[in-house]
Amino acid sequence: MPLHNVFVAEVRMLGWELKRYLFNTGAMVVVMYVLFLGMFWGVKSIGGPGISSVSLDAMVIGYVLWMSALFALQGTGGVVQSESERGTLEQLYLSPYGAEVIFFFKSVTATLFNFLLITLMLYLTMLTTGRMLPVNLLFFYPVLFVSLLSLTGIGFMLGGIGLVHKRIGAVNGLLSFGLIGLMLLPVYPLNGFSFIPFLAGAHTITEHIVNGASFPLWWYLFVAANSVFYLWIGLVVFRIFERKARSLNKMGQY
Amino acid sequence: MNRPETVIAVDGLRKSYRGTVAVDGISFEAYRGEILGILGPNGSGKTTTLKSVLGLIFYDGGSVRVLGLDPRKDRKRILRSTGAMLEGARNVYWQLSPDENLEYFAGIKGLSRRDIRERRNTLVAQLGLEDVRRKELREFSNGMKQKTALACAFINDPELLMLDEPTLGLDVEITIQIRDLLRASARDDGRSMLVTSHDMDFMESVCDRVLIIKKGKILSHETLDSLRCRFSRKTFRLELDRSPGAEAMLMLKNLGDVQPFDSDASCTLKVVLKDAGLVYGLMDALRADGLRIMDLSTVESDLEDIFLQMIRDDADAPA
Repeated sequence: MPLHNVFVAEVRMLGWELKRYLFNTGAMVVVMYVLFLGMFWGVKSIGGPGISSVSLDAMVIGYVLWMSALFALQGTGGVVQSESERGTLEQLYLSPYGAEVIFFFKSVTATLFNFLLITLMLYLTMLTTGRMLPVNLLFFYPVLFVSLLSLTGIGFMLGGIGLVHKRIGAVNGLLSFGLIGLMLLPVYPLNGFSFIPFLAGAHTITEHIVNGASFPLWWYLFVAANSVFYLWIGLVVFRIFERKARSLNKMGQY
Repeated sequence: MNRPETVIAVDGLRKSYRGTVAVDGISFEAYRGEILGILGPNGSGKTTTLKSVLGLIFYDGGSVRVLGLDPRKDRKRILRSTGAMLEGARNVYWQLSPDENLEYFAGIKGLSRRDIRERRNTLVAQLGLEDVRRKELREFSNGMKQKTALACAFINDPELLMLDEPTLGLDVEITIQIRDLLRASARDDGRSMLVTSHDMDFMESVCDRVLIIKKGKILSHETLDSLRCRFSRKTFRLELDRSPGAEAMLMLKNLGDVQPFDSDASCTLKVVLKDAGLVYGLMDALRADGLRIMDLSTVESDLEDIFLQMIRDDADAPA
């Protein structure tokens, strides 16, 4: 009973859901695009001719990063909530590989799919705004994937809380919009803000693409360590709440 | 004679939720190829027991062994050989087809599409899902969804199946289909099952043995034949020449449960004695009132009668 069959099952599940909810997926892309256009033209008209091209470039990248962060944040928390609502959550707990593995694979497949979406969004926004940025996808994807693992950890925390408290939409919403403000914080050189999940990775990508900045090796290691730490802490919190949910028989309740 | 192989051994299982006792020291065993039913009123601890055996709930005390393993330590090994349906029709993805559901649930148990090809076709045929196997479940009746959930529980060819209310809300035809599948599976494949249900007819037709539980405690732990035999020795249809007087009725009620056999015939009574040995007391009570017995016969009780009687007896018993 190899583990890769679990991953294949999650990939197939994603495919079936996309097929069933094709309209929804299409609508999501349109909404993301329209939202960006609104923001872009809004900022441009308020800023007037004084607004620098660097700021607009940073906005394009920032928006794409924020979108990918939203998907990662909603990961496990969203899965726990929707599986609870459907009544299938306990079935996931009957997998011999454990629900954590399933949730992790769900996050990874969702992230990979989101890479497709945000790449589409990235090029659409660049074409629309006329700001063609030199995006090195071989740099962009790996750094983004590693950075997003920190938010996957936060997603696990929210998922664990969701197992016991069920509805966590408000927290999710708060974090999602809070992240917009947080992404403006200065995180380099290393300071207290650098330890906030995802920010170091997001800054690295933005600076690299917009200003062509390069960073020392230790900084990349710091970005990876930050992600591993939050993923680990997320799993610990998830397990604590999972034990509580199993002790109180909350798993099958909604 | 060989001892049957024990597949589930529960000893002194206890579970409370915030001070409310759900399961209070339950002990039982289930054997290979046996269908063991758990019957009980709402809130009696059936589902908690089943989920504790599956390791979905952490229990407070006692021990559980499944296929010789401890679900607290070897849960993953147990789950490789186990299938379960816990929430009936809600246990499957309605946005997927039966085929897709089967493939997904096999996948998260580590099985590939190729591994389950034959088994999937067999299950789809056995449960009459051929015509709808590629359609979204949301278009189906509850029965079809529930049959798909049952097929998913079977997809990894489990040694042990746990079914919580498998026929809840189903019509007679589908209930019979499920009954036949479960019986054939226990008989032909030696599969063991733990089943909870409120459907007495279903339980009577499918289970080899039933545990009757109330308020987290076992009231009975017998085969259906032994239960029926025990109850038929103390359940009588009594036809009298007239209705018993108030005093005789009081004496009869001290001996057990007394009810008119049918609403029109007050001279024909159904008497369920608290104990088979009280039959002499029954005769004494009739004689004291000068009643003549026109006809006396034992009554074969069905599971529903037995269940209701046991619940009543327990309620009457001194605490």
